[in-house]
Amino acid sequence: MKHHLPGLSWPRLSSAPIQVSCHFCDALQEAPRLLEGNAAYCCRCGEMLYQNRPRSLARATGFSSAALIFMVLAHSFPSITIDSGGMRRELTLLEAADALFHEANPMIGVLAIVFTIIAPLTLMGGLLYVAGPLRFGIALPGALNVTRIFQLSEPWSMLEVFLVGILVALLKLHAVGEVHLGTGLWALIGLVFCTAAAMSGIDKLELWDRLEIAMHKGEKPAHLHSAEEHPQP
Amino acid sequence: MSETGTTTAVRSAAEEGLASCHLCGKVSPVVEEHCPRCHSKLHLRKPQSLQRTWSFLIAAMLFYFPANLLPMMDIKGLGGNSSDTIMSGVINFWKKGDFLVAAIIFSASIMIPILKMIALIWLCLAAGGVISAAPKSLARLYHLTELVGRWSMVDVFVVAILVALVQLGVISTVTPGPAILSFASVVVLTMFAAMSFDPRLLWDRHVQDQEAADSGTTP
Repeated sequence: MKHHLPGLSWPRLSSAPIQVSCHFCDALQEAPRLLEGNAAYCCRCGEMLYQNRPRSLARATGFSSAALIFMVLAHSFPSITIDSGGMRRELTLLEAADALFHEANPMIGVLAIVFTIIAPLTLMGGLLYVAGPLRFGIALPGALNVTRIFQLSEPWSMLEVFLVGILVALLKLHAVGEVHLGTGLWALIGLVFCTAAAMSGIDKLELWDRLEIAMHKGEKPAHLHSAEEHPQP
Repeated sequence: MSETGTTTAVRSAAEEGLASCHLCGKVSPVVEEHCPRCHSKLHLRKPQSLQRTWSFLIAAMLFYFPANLLPMMDIKGLGGNSSDTIMSGVINFWKKGDFLVAAIIFSASIMIPILKMIALIWLCLAAGGVISAAPKSLARLYHLTELVGRWSMVDVFVVAILVALVQLGVISTVTPGPAILSFASVVVLTMFAAMSFDPRLLWDRHVQDQEAADSGTTP
């Protein structure tokens, strides 16, 4: 039951005009069909409503897999190594969080783990889990909840902030000993860029439109608009 | 296409009894209670948006003081012991000639939290009708608060990295100070405050004001 609309490269559940409301001013308006690369803006406040990103699923899949590979590298190799007074210390993401956990406050340690490890992993793993199969029109079990969870974790993924933290720390560390930059740091930089590229690769609205179709696959068209149970009064 | 013409012609989804799902963006009648697409709860506006934003904001403001007054980290080393608050850390960097680092830490740790809190207070007051401002500039302000908020976390990460690397060193030891908990709280609380604020309230207020002005001129 999918319709390819002229001018719009992603399919929608119905060919009837779809309404959107601006998330900023709540103006109700018809969602125009867009060519790849174009964006629709609110007729009242000028906010961007949605965008038709070129080759969106391919980008989301590609960059999120690359991000996951960089994530493995960033965890396995130290990003900074420091030699001072015959002692050698290495820094990985987990050790930075661990230091806070043991030296400061377990709560801060947990926050640091969430911001630098769990949220980025949920974000990229979730996007790959949903966008990868969607390329073949399939929604894996739980895709809906996975999408919800990775969307909610997006603001809490703070690896780019951590990266700036490393740069600031590097300048302080020169006084302490000899500092070497490791594979982990380059992996971290790659991870930050791939995360940004993957998230901006696909519009939220497009992802949900495609997910909706994949989940309704096999169902009869009659069920499309009453998929939810309506309690009888 | 005059501006007043478009604003009166366009209806908001809420006036039609339609709610756009905050998660997936689908517009459905609010009486359905749950989004037919992603099963999230439907609301015309975020529930108790202003009350929630105010309470997160007040909590964040309370934490701002210990975050800045207590030491962020203690450094014990050959050059003597020092315990740095955020501001004294910035001053030390400045004195050493690291102007860039001083500027980064100053703007991320001191300027951004306070500007973000002031901006959110301003937005809450505007949505509550206490002050009036052009919705376009308020929109810009709202996007800015969403964008910059997370960067205040940078100082917490710097402490984490330094503690992890210099912990067992012979030359010096770094231990995190009590301010770090307050500081992380400020960041998390202001992020929650920005998330619970519903920007559509600004337009509701703007439309209301305009209608009041229109009925005032043509009684």
